[in-house]
Amino acid sequence: MSKALVSLLTALGDDELVLGHRHSEWTGCAPHMEEDVAFSSIAQDEIGHAAAYYSIAAAATGESPDALAFGRDPGEYRHAIVCERPNGDWAFTLARHWLYDNADDVRLAALESASHPELAALARKIRREERYHLIHADTWIKRIVRGPVEGRTKLIDAVSEVYVQALGLFEPVEEEAAAVAEGLLPVPSGEMLARFVERTGNALDELGLPTESHKSAGDTARFEASSSGDLIADDRGEVELSSTTPGVAMGGRAGRHTDDFKELWDVMTVTYRSHPGASW
Amino acid sequence: MTYEEKLARFNEHIEAGGKVEANDWMPDDFRRGVLKFIEMHANSEIMGALPERECLPSAPTLQRKMSLCAKIQDEVGHAQLLYRVAEDLGKSRVAMYEDLVNGKAKFHNVFHYPVKHWGDVAIIGWLIDGAALVTQAALLDSSYAPYTRVLKRICAEEQLHLRHGEDITLELASGTDEQRAMFQEALDRWWLAIIHFFGPRSNVAKDLLLRWKVKTRTNEDLRNEFLDRYVPKIYELGFTIPAPVPVQEDAHWVLVEEEIDWGPLDAIKRNEGPETARRLATRRHMYESHRWVREALEEPALHAA
Amino acid sequence: MDVYEVFRRSGHKEPFEHAGAVIAPDPEMALLMGKECFLRRREGEHMWVVKRSDIHSFQDESLLEIAADKSYRFASAYRDVVNKRERARKRAEEAKRQAS
Repeated sequence: MSKALVSLLTALGDDELVLGHRHSEWTGCAPHMEEDVAFSSIAQDEIGHAAAYYSIAAAATGESPDALAFGRDPGEYRHAIVCERPNGDWAFTLARHWLYDNADDVRLAALESASHPELAALARKIRREERYHLIHADTWIKRIVRGPVEGRTKLIDAVSEVYVQALGLFEPVEEEAAAVAEGLLPVPSGEMLARFVERTGNALDELGLPTESHKSAGDTARFEASSSGDLIADDRGEVELSSTTPGVAMGGRAGRHTDDFKELWDVMTVTYRSHPGASW
Repeated sequence: MTYEEKLARFNEHIEAGGKVEANDWMPDDFRRGVLKFIEMHANSEIMGALPERECLPSAPTLQRKMSLCAKIQDEVGHAQLLYRVAEDLGKSRVAMYEDLVNGKAKFHNVFHYPVKHWGDVAIIGWLIDGAALVTQAALLDSSYAPYTRVLKRICAEEQLHLRHGEDITLELASGTDEQRAMFQEALDRWWLAIIHFFGPRSNVAKDLLLRWKVKTRTNEDLRNEFLDRYVPKIYELGFTIPAPVPVQEDAHWVLVEEEIDWGPLDAIKRNEGPETARRLATRRHMYESHRWVREALEEPALHAA
Repeated sequence: MDVYEVFRRSGHKEPFEHAGAVIAPDPEMALLMGKECFLRRREGEHMWVVKRSDIHSFQDESLLEIAADKSYRFASAYRDVVNKRERARKRAEEAKRQAS
């Protein structure tokens, strides 16, 4: 199995695991009882997707999916930083849920035609589940946006905060050139980013959500350097991200994480690490 | 019909095994008693989500992470079902929830205690859910029909939780010395609380809910069933049971009542258990900081898209 | 006139189930008609009628499908409990021997 495939699967699995972990922290204390139940399923779905990606990787590397999930050092995780950020309030969570699932849909649509048959089949399967996640996120966003001013304001702030961070989901994965060349990643990250920016920009306009970041990123002049410097378009219309750009949470795909992840990792792996080799 | 006549007729109906629906006439004491009972059950489900929620982030495998999350989700689902049933007796869910977060309501003693590690998940999932299932199954034939209908589903899900809890327990029991010690340490901490869970001996003469067949069995009867079911299993796995140690009597496992220290339960009844304040503060904080979400759900859309 | 969906429950322990629908001008009339159309042979002790336009469903019901493996939500995930009990019992005996 190619190094590029393992690298890609690791990034995909880690995104889902870490975000699923964050989502699951709402189980038992979400702001509405029925929604508590509903959102918990989404958390479980994301963790299930992680398990599925790790299983494909595990089949080749000989590591178990659990060892991949819980047995690595923090610097070996390849998720985007946006996934590890603490839940904050429900507005932050909703904004991240909406942006992540939009990004994931762009990514899964591309992976459906991956050259690796198992990965392509998995992408199709996951996308069926993600369809519901998108509807869930959309329905909530609409309800808050059209509701009283306090919630609307909180959501607008949260979307602007998360939007820039969510761009980090399209930071190229390690071995990306090889992954693209081998057809594992049929669409390069830069191109997926452009699709994501266009799609979410349109959706946010439709919702009447004014955010600095999407305005600058989704301008009609196709991804010219924005005022905030978030996005730099090259002449092929692809967008490159710069890790020096303020607000853009980059580095996750290279294993550079924040202290938020160190804390999360400590808790997430403590049982697994405390008894090496034990069965649970 | 006078109140006395209505009451006499109601008592006859109950005596004959009749059921009561939310819209039927019922004595005020019946309504109040059933409401309080179901409200406490609902509170216990929602508060019961918290100890396990504290263990969830450290679940040791992907499967356990999903299944524990699903289990806590079920508990929240039970709270949702039960609050709905309680609401129809005349108190809104908001009022019940506010009483809960403000420390004015009660919830089961076992959810006032701390959790420390994965051994706690085994104890909660196997023995506490086992205890809960014994008490809830006894309510399946309660005279208050809306309660029995949701209990049907709740008991079915609790059966699954029990399997889940036993599975975790068996894995620890079959594991390393450290894993076995983990379970034993948790059992030592939890045992007395589990015994308290059933409550002290019922006062049959005074207990209106027993008389009206809302409850169908006494506390000691339920506790004895639990002991008979679980004590042999615990011993079979090679674990020891701390005080109050069960003794065998005519092929049954029982406790010597005088050996049960009720002190910790009295504190919990005043909402002064080891974790009461912290867990209620968590709930209160989430409740107050998300008022805006409830407002967004309650009010009609203001802004056009 | 509107379509009213009729639900009936056979006893206190059962859930309401859909029985059929009637065409009626208002809920009062729908109740009278529903009773004779669907409960005239003691099929139920309780009945509801709900105006069909007050009933909502997903436009795309494939959303209700479970796409991925959710076996952990079912008791069948814990099927081999007998073997696991046996294994734990043996481990307990071993622990006892070690201790003595």
